[in-house]
Amino acid sequence: MKENIILRGVELCKQFGATVAVNNLSFSLEKGDFLGLIGENGAGKTTLIKILGGEYKPDRGKIIYKGRETNWDTPNQALKKGIGIVHQHLLYIPEFTAEENIFLGKEYVTKKILLDDKSLSDNANSLLKQFPIYPSLNLKERVSNMSPGEREIVEILKILSYDSEILILDEPTASLSKNEAEGLFNSLIFLNKEKSLTIIYISHKLDETIDLCNKIMVMRNGENMGIINKNQFDKGSIIKLMINQDIQKFYPDKSDKVGSIIIEVKNLTTDKLKDINFYVKEGEIVGLYGLMGAGMSNVIKCIFGVETFNKGIINIQNRKEFHKTTVAEMVNEGVYLIPGDRDKYGIFTSFNIRENTTIAHLKYLFHEVILNKNNESKVAHNELSKIHSKYADLNQHLDEISGGNQQKIIITRWLMRDCKLLIVDDITVGIDIGTKKDIYNLLRELTKRGKGIIFVSSEINEIIGMADRVYTMREGEITAEFHGEEINQKNILENIL
Amino acid sequence: MVKINYKNIFKNNELLIAFIVLVVFFSIGSNRFLCIENITNILRNSSITGILVLGLVLVMINGDFDLSFASAVGLLNIVGLVLIDRGMNMWIVFLLMIIGGILWSLFNSFLIIKIGIHAFIATIATWNISKGLIYWINKGRTFYGNYPDNLVFIGRRTVFGVIPVNVFIFIVIAILLYVLVNKTKVGRYLYAIGSNKQAAEYVGINSNKYRYLAYILHGFCIGIASVVLCSKLASGPASAGEGYLITVIASVFLGATVFKPGFVNVGGGILGILILTVIENGLIMVSVPFYFKYIVQAIIILLSVSMIFIKSKGQGPGIV
Repeated sequence: MKENIILRGVELCKQFGATVAVNNLSFSLEKGDFLGLIGENGAGKTTLIKILGGEYKPDRGKIIYKGRETNWDTPNQALKKGIGIVHQHLLYIPEFTAEENIFLGKEYVTKKILLDDKSLSDNANSLLKQFPIYPSLNLKERVSNMSPGEREIVEILKILSYDSEILILDEPTASLSKNEAEGLFNSLIFLNKEKSLTIIYISHKLDETIDLCNKIMVMRNGENMGIINKNQFDKGSIIKLMINQDIQKFYPDKSDKVGSIIIEVKNLTTDKLKDINFYVKEGEIVGLYGLMGAGMSNVIKCIFGVETFNKGIINIQNRKEFHKTTVAEMVNEGVYLIPGDRDKYGIFTSFNIRENTTIAHLKYLFHEVILNKNNESKVAHNELSKIHSKYADLNQHLDEISGGNQQKIIITRWLMRDCKLLIVDDITVGIDIGTKKDIYNLLRELTKRGKGIIFVSSEINEIIGMADRVYTMREGEITAEFHGEEINQKNILENIL
Repeated sequence: MVKINYKNIFKNNELLIAFIVLVVFFSIGSNRFLCIENITNILRNSSITGILVLGLVLVMINGDFDLSFASAVGLLNIVGLVLIDRGMNMWIVFLLMIIGGILWSLFNSFLIIKIGIHAFIATIATWNISKGLIYWINKGRTFYGNYPDNLVFIGRRTVFGVIPVNVFIFIVIAILLYVLVNKTKVGRYLYAIGSNKQAAEYVGINSNKYRYLAYILHGFCIGIASVVLCSKLASGPASAGEGYLITVIASVFLGATVFKPGFVNVGGGILGILILTVIENGLIMVSVPFYFKYIVQAIIILLSVSMIFIKSKGQGPGIV
């Protein structure tokens, strides 16, 4: 029914420089829908919701909200009219409490000047009563002390305090544990069913999207590939719409051909780690898994030299022993670490794509004192095309391209020189299926050529799918080692809890 | 060898337009503005500040800062003059002044990098130390000492016929540092550190090593600038150098609006100091009171920087 349509996008277009992010996209959303927005990184999902939420103005096209064409200049205008976005990177003030964050910008004042803490508390409490999605939330707690799941709830409450009718969430479960994610799902289902909130939900996790949503819209290359209703949900065909390929097998075949030892870690000890011992051989992917904070990140950072260790020996190919490591030395040995948090540890915002790609091995690639930009471009382009990286021009900056392509650049920068051991730290977080598959295949290719991989991931399925051998960790210690058939959920979970 | 990317110049050309407009304006206002003598004058006046701009750009690229350089120049100037007055060989004194500049900067960088004091605060402190030392030496009165005739060679004479020595030095240093920053690995690493220090460490760049290097080169520029100043003034005023502080810093920020918008860069710094010097010179040529220069310079700075932000409004990420 036409009266039921709460939001319509009509031929929306948005371009950044040479990159077309949203291409003549039209869609309609009915009141009470729980729409899943699916697509590869670079498909334009984040751009689309930012247009709907008032952060970007479309170059062409219009948005019709509740029957009227919108003309928002700021996201605040959209928020006041009832459309709110919960971004992937939450926008909270860490030092403020939950209630202070919820009413940020709308603080209650007495006599027009003084902050009214009592009104703030009362209103926060009644908001929580009105939307009991997390009744036990401590509204007086500082958000910086809260878990990712609780922070997500605070952000949602902030939006709900504006009498929102449409709630848009961008990858809300990316940094949530399984339990917290389930809590969030229940909250969203409650809001959708009991409070008639229309929800647009972006996620790379296809399974959870299929469970939650009543409709799924697939985007590819900035276009709307179609809206599918619940009774026609089929994982295979959805993926085909996303990447125009069939996914028969998600993870590449494992191998059991191994060579000699590349690296051996002996008695590695720090404040957090207790006597870590393990090794990696040529040709194998070694998984390192445990709960958040169990120490996997610390282990690899100590190996690579970004963290120091009190005791221990890093032995490379039985040839060289290190009692302490520096990044420069490890890189020289052919040991590279690809960080997962690329904004913090990977991307140079002042550099363009070319400079970001060549920076890791700059002195190995080019021996001349005066760098030649053309030469550099050629070399960078060559390497980037091997991994199917998508960009318009090497002079672009990384904030103009999608997250998955950013990650490909960070990976490529390391592979521009031969490696012996590649350490990957949760590098597929928040990345679309197509790119994930490319990365998995790439890692397997490397092992086939005799390289070794240390594979740290927060997704247990990924570990099970990729690793030839798995070490489990708990509270700074290695608890078990599994091979082949032994690598399964039961064994792993038993040894990490 | 030194290739200027013409596309970039015309992409963010507010500053260049301002430069051209100013030149046109002043040449209309005074028919002696565009003559060789005045142009040479303008270049002479930008040489000391220009060298300081180059040094400061290096330090600011990787995220550091220095507020003490102007006063350090004044201090080295006076110490140099005292030594020459006492009979030390002029060229040795010049060498000592350059070394002094480097040592001064090393002192700053030790406080900032090793001890970890924020650059802003550390260099305000050292700025005041050098100011105190200057007053201690000259008791608040301009110092006039004995000096050999050829002291003023660098500061006032010309070489190859028409090029003033100090301008020649400025040009040489400008070319060297332009190439270093834009075309070598060192320059790339400096920008990497300034852009994301943690990511730089993750690719094996020793950020402390390059921060020290930037400060050392900056110190070298301070030393050279003090030699040129000494040779030009042949006297040690108590305030020598202080006037440079704002002009140099403003030039660096002004320069960050062009060529590599949003990021401090060598070419932009040079254009910045030229503009500010042209304004000062032009205002004198059209007989405007000297204090107008502050207002005009400030307006240029505000306009340029605003242009960048006005252009990027409503476009989301992608424009710096």
